[in-house]
Amino acid sequence: MNIHSYEKLWLIAALLLIVGFIATITYGSVGLGIAMIDDSEDTVNPGSLDEDFGEPRVEHVGENEYEAYVIAQTFTYRPDPIEVPADSEVTFYVTSRDVIHSFSVVGTNVNTMVIPGEVSSMTVEFDDPGEYGIVCNEYCGDFHHTMEGQLHVVPEDEFDMTELSVEADDEVELGDEATFNVSVENGMLDDLETTASFEIGDETVEEEITVAGESTEETTFTVDSSDLGEGDHDWTITVDDYEESGTLTVVDELEEENDGGNNDE
Amino acid sequence: MSNAYIDQFPAEAKVVKALFYSSFVALALGGVFGIIQTLHRTDIYRFIDSANYYSVLTAHGVFMVITFTIFFLVGVFTWAVTTSLDREVEDIRFTWAWVALMSIGTVMAAVPILAGLTDSIDMSAAVLFTFYAPLQGHPLFYLGLVLFVVGTWVAGADWFRSWWAWKKENPDARIPLPTFMVLTTMIMWYIATMGVATSILVFLLPWSLGWIETVNPLLTRTLFWFFGHPVVYFWLMPAYMMWYVMLPKFSGGKLFSDPLARVGFVLFLLLSTPVGIHHQYLDPGISEGFKFIAMTNTMFLLLPSLLTAFTVVASMEHGARQRGGTGYFGWLKALPWRDPVFAGMALAGLLFAAAGFSGMVNAGMNINYLVHNSLWVVGHFHLTVGTAVALTFMAVSYWFIPQVTGKELWNRSVALVQVVLWFIGMTFMTNSMHRAGLIGMPRRTAEPQYEGFEFETAVGSVGELDAQIALGGVLLTLSLVLFFANIIGTAFGSRSDTLPDNGYAEALSGSDDAPRVLDNLKLWTAIAIVLVIFAYSLPLLSIVDRGGLFGPDIPPLPVSLESVTFLAFAVEHVATVALESAGNFAQTALSGVIN
Ligand code: HEM
Ligand SMILES: [Cu+2]
Ligand SMILES: [Cu+2]
Repeated sequence: MNIHSYEKLWLIAALLLIVGFIATITYGSVGLGIAMIDDSEDTVNPGSLDEDFGEPRVEHVGENEYEAYVIAQTFTYRPDPIEVPADSEVTFYVTSRDVIHSFSVVGTNVNTMVIPGEVSSMTVEFDDPGEYGIVCNEYCGDFHHTMEGQLHVVPEDEFDMTELSVEADDEVELGDEATFNVSVENGMLDDLETTASFEIGDETVEEEITVAGESTEETTFTVDSSDLGEGDHDWTITVDDYEESGTLTVVDELEEENDGGNNDE
Repeated sequence: MSNAYIDQFPAEAKVVKALFYSSFVALALGGVFGIIQTLHRTDIYRFIDSANYYSVLTAHGVFMVITFTIFFLVGVFTWAVTTSLDREVEDIRFTWAWVALMSIGTVMAAVPILAGLTDSIDMSAAVLFTFYAPLQGHPLFYLGLVLFVVGTWVAGADWFRSWWAWKKENPDARIPLPTFMVLTTMIMWYIATMGVATSILVFLLPWSLGWIETVNPLLTRTLFWFFGHPVVYFWLMPAYMMWYVMLPKFSGGKLFSDPLARVGFVLFLLLSTPVGIHHQYLDPGISEGFKFIAMTNTMFLLLPSLLTAFTVVASMEHGARQRGGTGYFGWLKALPWRDPVFAGMALAGLLFAAAGFSGMVNAGMNINYLVHNSLWVVGHFHLTVGTAVALTFMAVSYWFIPQVTGKELWNRSVALVQVVLWFIGMTFMTNSMHRAGLIGMPRRTAEPQYEGFEFETAVGSVGELDAQIALGGVLLTLSLVLFFANIIGTAFGSRSDTLPDNGYAEALSGSDDAPRVLDNLKLWTAIAIVLVIFAYSLPLLSIVDRGGLFGPDIPPLPVSLESVTFLAFAVEHVATVALESAGNFAQTALSGVIN
């Protein structure tokens, strides 16, 4: 076979180009540490994600290190929005409950397929605060185009993982005591020192609480309904930026429960 | 009396003509859906419900890249084998049989896709041409695809038959180049379609009929891409064949090198299949090592394309110099730019070079994060299959249609405008698609306008990108209208005696220079299979090991139902009857032997 000398040159140049490409990409993987989505996570059963994967959530796992467990399903992401602090390293674990989706953070190179039964994991550093959109770029059904979510990278000093919940009486008989059970959950690893404040009528009560890392603290506020008098009384409980509020009704005499059968929930 | 294809092979010309016309019907339908979705997703004009967008997109994908391209290329292959072996097909009824199989398959797949657009028929296959489970289409869709593929297998058998018969009469001759190209392409196709055939026959079809409960989504997806990359070469290799054996002729010269053309096709045969995992760079459940192997193979697959680029340009230069062209670049002016066949093919080649660039970006596994499933990818393949292949096919039709109909082309100027319009339209559309992809705009999305955020462009704006995409789409649609005007005009013309002779380009360095081993198809087939086993056995085993052969317990997400039960019953019935009669036949045969 006789090969023209130009053709030989071209061939050599082509081979050099190919080897050059492979070397560049290899450098990206090994030198810059751009890892590929791979098979490092165990499989999960999409039918029992509660056990295999747990609730959709963000966890604080080390100083400036977080893990986000995200579930994609037609046509939403949970949690939504996903909140993480700036200047942190976040590992995302994403899986699907139904069909194939993607988890793609617009304007970044966070982009992965999400396949039911498999978990995609990727670690990303977020230096600055910002808000990103998340889109599904794998067709997943009729309303695929509505599948979006949000990723909020909030300034470090505004970030916490506190959750406030309150269990309160709706209605009490005049003269009885109304109770407000407050629980404050702290998802961070460090202790949380804060104040819970309770407001009803003109009355304000404050209580210092310390919630240890990754735990929940409970406290109870009580109020004597005779002090409030008959009628509706708005109340508010605040812990840092979180607020729960409601209305307590003080009645002369409690009605029989289920009398009308229409308030059973 | 002219010596066109229709004069030499009247019966085969009928087949080829039927195949071309079928492919054009698909192109027309695909074009209608193409402009609908372009105007819809750019929010310029919306008249369908966004939920129906995906039926439209499925139709566009299937009609364009399955029906249009493949019907056309089997026509070209039939022409190539008969012309280069200079013999008729062995049995024209056999030939018509595979044409029928392919047509029935197409219609069967098209029915549920189109039915998805109306509420009155309860059927749908809005699963796109990739049909990833657990999205589930109507069984007719899968069944139609299988029949279509079987049709192409039988077509391949037809060409191998011709070659074997020819070889008996010409034991020492080299395989003529066009036939060599057909055979290597078909071997590649046989290997590649094993993936999709397994995926459909073992998993998706039984599952859509309700015979099995679940499938492993990663497994069927991997089997799809086992086929999904080489199918790209199934479209591209016929276009390359046209560039190798026809373009030199239209530029007025000869093919630069026959041996290198053979080397190119052998490389395609070897490397087209063991690369499919490059479509799954971002899939969980596949290790980085397997992705790396797929990438390395992909990069080497650049080699035959780069070789083709060299040979094609060198052949054009040779042609131009024969026509009196001189100078370093001055020869370019001597090329027959006013000939729509030449101009279309050359412009297609030019845009293909641009596609090579975006393809290299796609192929880099960690750069892929940036572009995967974004509109960038759509821009990329409208340059490859949508232009390098489609424009080459349309341009070369201006030569083929007169050959198979015996009629003069209706209007050469319209043809020239048509190919140039396609070039301009694609330049607008794909350039803006690439840019939109880089800002993260997803593909396959009816309304890429989101509530919670906006895409940020460095230059220009989203509105400007959308306008360019739509402008490109409109120009392409106009180009298609001109194309069909010409085809229809030609069909209604009258028989001409002054057609050019049938034939293809000779080579400067001919087949005698090619080492004999290049024609050893058994050897190349064996190596190709070994490479596929290397690239795929471990990934497939690992996927099955992780997720199980039939996957975890996920319910299907049917895009339709109801009529499925009936079909399941019918298929089961037919299968039982077939099995029974086969059993009876075996029994009679056996007892015949024993007695
Ligand atoms: C009139 C000319 C054409 C126009 C206006 C057009 C437009 C489009 C648009 C806008 C999309 C993207 C839709 C989306 O992802 O949401 C698309 C997808 C596609 N087009 Fe075209 N196209 C044309 C011609 C072609 C040709 C000639 C081919 C191939 C031979 C082709 C093959 C495809 C394929 C395979 C897809 C992807 C389908 C999918 O994602 O499932 N198109 N087209
Ligand atoms: Cu989606
Ligand atoms: Cu590919």
